[in-house]
Amino acid sequence: MVKARDWDRTRRQIRNDWMYYAMFAPVLVFVIIFNYVPMVGVSLAFYKFTPFARKFIGLDNFADLFVGIRAPQFWRAFGNTLFYSITNLVLSTILSVTVALLLNELVSRKAKGLVQTILYLPHFMSWVVVSSIFTLILSPQVGIVNNVLQELGIEPIYFLAQQKWWTPIYFFIVRWKETGWGTIIYLAALSGVNPELYEAAEMDGAGRLRQVFSVTLPAIVTTILIVFILNLGKVMNIFESVFVLQNPNVYNATDVLTTFAYRVGVQQGNYGMGTAIDLFKSFIGLFLVLGTDAINRKIRGSSVL
Amino acid sequence: MREVFSLRNGHAGRSIFRICNVFFMFLLLVLMLVPLAKVISDSFDRSTIYGLNFWPKNPSIEAYKSIFTNPNLRQPLLVSIVTTVCGTALGLTMATLGAYVLRQKKLVGRGFFAKFIFVTMVFNGGLVPTFLVLKGLHMTNTLWAVLLPPSVNVFNMILMRSFFEQIPESLFESAEIDGATPPQVFWSIVLPLSTAALASIGLFFAVEYWNEFFRYVMYISKTDYYNFQIKLRDLILSEQNINDPAIIGFANMVKNAGVVVAMLPFFVIYPFAQRYFIAGVTMGSVKE
Repeated sequence: MVKARDWDRTRRQIRNDWMYYAMFAPVLVFVIIFNYVPMVGVSLAFYKFTPFARKFIGLDNFADLFVGIRAPQFWRAFGNTLFYSITNLVLSTILSVTVALLLNELVSRKAKGLVQTILYLPHFMSWVVVSSIFTLILSPQVGIVNNVLQELGIEPIYFLAQQKWWTPIYFFIVRWKETGWGTIIYLAALSGVNPELYEAAEMDGAGRLRQVFSVTLPAIVTTILIVFILNLGKVMNIFESVFVLQNPNVYNATDVLTTFAYRVGVQQGNYGMGTAIDLFKSFIGLFLVLGTDAINRKIRGSSVL
Repeated sequence: MREVFSLRNGHAGRSIFRICNVFFMFLLLVLMLVPLAKVISDSFDRSTIYGLNFWPKNPSIEAYKSIFTNPNLRQPLLVSIVTTVCGTALGLTMATLGAYVLRQKKLVGRGFFAKFIFVTMVFNGGLVPTFLVLKGLHMTNTLWAVLLPPSVNVFNMILMRSFFEQIPESLFESAEIDGATPPQVFWSIVLPLSTAALASIGLFFAVEYWNEFFRYVMYISKTDYYNFQIKLRDLILSEQNINDPAIIGFANMVKNAGVVVAMLPFFVIYPFAQRYFIAGVTMGSVKE
């Protein structure tokens, strides 16, 4: 009886609020079409595509990737993905925390504001723009770096075409673009540190560096962990930064899972295989986040998720 | 809080630390600004070899003229402008509509809608299925493929909702008593009170649409629909086979000018917009 009356009221309410639902409809339709329908498409990973039909082949695509003909390429791309994104994640944490700590020590507010403004700027440039800037600067003919080398009597170097140069330059460029932006969240955490803690440390005779290690860092360690874990979830998505700096000379060393999936799935039209690579990628990403969070929970006794 | 540590009662060690710190910051600024300064300077310089100067040796504005008049470069620029304007408008429409409805605490099904949308932040179908859906809708090789999918942005919608939640409840109640319908409240109360939020989230959308690159690579092969980012990449990768210094010098100048044009909109609005961007980010991190 009561249930029936509740249900009646709910229905009346829904009918009454129909305008809200109408306003939400466009959002819902877009999300269904562009997000949910492709999610159903994940099942393509279990099919083989021929120009005329598709055939269910179970886990064959995965078998091909893990141990079959595509295994060498696949494991290489997987290794590259982990190498580039985890190195970058470690570098980003160290550099952004360091820069945030030093910015925090600047006495002049104006100087701090100016440095911040300039540091944040490259974040808004596209990867194409950033890669273009550095392609021009490192160009063998007109780039300033090679011009300096020539003045010193050194032969010009085609930096981006050699693997031993490509990798360090890649990390430099990514950090050039994103380090400043990465400091924002640490600066916000630093502004919340209780000043009395510094006074107490000062009383105990702690120097400036000592205070950084004993007061400041412990105060923001939670923030560092949260940011680290959230970014770990994106580790497998590394793509555009690599793609725009890639060239045929360094393909082997720079192929990551997403570029591999794009080449196989879209360019070669092997839809099933492309989806399988993507699916594998999502699983590893999820596993990384849940895994780190579990470790973190064991050590610190609380989850960040 | 810094007065406690001012130089007056500090030790020598502290002053050394400060000086090193200022020096480090200076180095950092040089590192950030040199690449930009070089590109800007070279975009006005028609020399074949630029050298170490940060001021054009043979000044010329030909490169910019060429970008705005050569149809090969002007067309992509137009595509970029049109998609940025339309995309931002569309994105703001979606973000405000979604945020307004998700803010209605008493609405039946609100929790479900919120979850339904937030799930897309974690899971997605991936490259190929998304490509096939767009292909099935005949959107590949049209600008719809780059305009529609990014217009529902969950992160921006959450931000917008937290802005909307700051509007006092009493305003809504009095409007309801006056018999205003939800769309009327939305149009004449919520939107006018949220200009700061619209500016800030509009900028997020504008940056995203202007910088879009990947979706063009994926979905668009017709050169008429290339945006400026795609064209810039082609331009940078193009090599001159002719050994005429005048042609090489001009080509390099156009490359540099292309980079400058691709960043120009944000150089112009960035000084004014910076605080909106940061407000958005810090608010987003609190929500996470």
